[in-house]
Amino acid sequence: MSRQPEESMKCDALSDDLIEFALGTLAGRSRSRVLDHLDSCAHCDAELESLAGVVDTMLWLAPEAEPSLGFESRLIERYRESDTRRLTVRRRRASVLAVAAVLIALLGIGVDAVLTTHGNSTNPSVTARPTSGRLTADGIVVGHVTISSGSPSWMIMDVDAGRLSGVVWCEVTFANGRVATVGKFTLSNGYGSWIAPIKASGSNVRSARLVNARGTVLAQATFATSPSLRDRSDPFEPTTRSTG
Amino acid sequence: MRAHGSYDEEASDEALLSGVAIGDDRAVLAFVRRYQRRLFGLALGIVGDPGMAEDVAQEAFIRILRHAAVFDARRGSVATWTLTITRNLAIDAVRVRRPIPTSPEDRTFLSLVSNDRSPDDAASMSESVTQARVALAALPNDQRRAIVLAVMYGRTASEVASLEAIPLGTAKSRIRLGLAKLREAAAITEAS
Repeated sequence: MSRQPEESMKCDALSDDLIEFALGTLAGRSRSRVLDHLDSCAHCDAELESLAGVVDTMLWLAPEAEPSLGFESRLIERYRESDTRRLTVRRRRASVLAVAAVLIALLGIGVDAVLTTHGNSTNPSVTARPTSGRLTADGIVVGHVTISSGSPSWMIMDVDAGRLSGVVWCEVTFANGRVATVGKFTLSNGYGSWIAPIKASGSNVRSARLVNARGTVLAQATFATSPSLRDRSDPFEPTTRSTG
Repeated sequence: MRAHGSYDEEASDEALLSGVAIGDDRAVLAFVRRYQRRLFGLALGIVGDPGMAEDVAQEAFIRILRHAAVFDARRGSVATWTLTITRNLAIDAVRVRRPIPTSPEDRTFLSLVSNDRSPDDAASMSESVTQARVALAALPNDQRRAIVLAVMYGRTASEVASLEAIPLGTAKSRIRLGLAKLREAAAITEAS
């Protein structure tokens, strides 16, 4: 695989970070830089795949061990309880989201109507269409994002991210590379749903992400390409270490 | 939860997760039985305390079972996903509750690098895992310690440097060289 000299230099500069990424120990801006680079570098993508394979194999080296008597029954009981609680939360959340979905649809229609009336749109059916994507961490879907078109636009985010709790920040990246914080939200037992305005055109948003107070990216949604996050961490991991 | 027939030992991990995703309690039970010794063993190796290791393994199972429906097979095997979640939870538990064991005599270090396995163990380990054990044991001590600290204990290069009282560049170099040798050994096994 041939690379341009400047591309090769970039790869060399990130090689240590790529190793830490594969080990799941890279955090913060370094992690974001690697993710951005991986989007455009097949060489490093393949390198990551290879390093990750070595790390994954090592996890098999710990010897098996027998847990104490009753481990299985305690686990099944706990799982059933958590499953019941989830159903209750889901039902409650579904009603909130239904209202939000109607709001987004109405906003989309409103923008469409304005643009059509003033003759500013050559393709109103496209400009008015909300953008939506899956919020993922480590390839696992942990939520959904919908952004209405127009300016200002509205974002609705729905998160179900395991045990992750506490305050998170939602950031969006625009087509010109500008990053804006949409707001600060709270996840309770991994769940959260919110609607917030974006002070710019929603159709220019290329990605959205959730970060914690230390700037660690917890989950991400990409709108221009298929949703994917080469995040090797546990997806519900709230610390600066590594989902996914 | 509902029950839909039974799952034999031949059922694939993916089939079990599909069963879990539709609420089949027999699939849940089969999945737990298949992985409980593996997950508990990994957690125990990292946290060193059986009680804490059970907490970690239980939490790992709950997460895996709850997210069975969104597992994406294109991104790796069920086993890798399962072990990675367990490893990360165990590392968290260690960070919060207990200092990192770094002695070369530590049980995890010993169990990982020893080639003294029973015939049953050897038979149940795939060739690539057996080879990885041999390759790890063959690394120079300093590289092996750096690799185990990073992979099993989630230590960053800078933390490895601090724990080992070495410059950051040396820590990075040990991790890089160690991983390169393990990868090289894996490539030779694959090619043979």
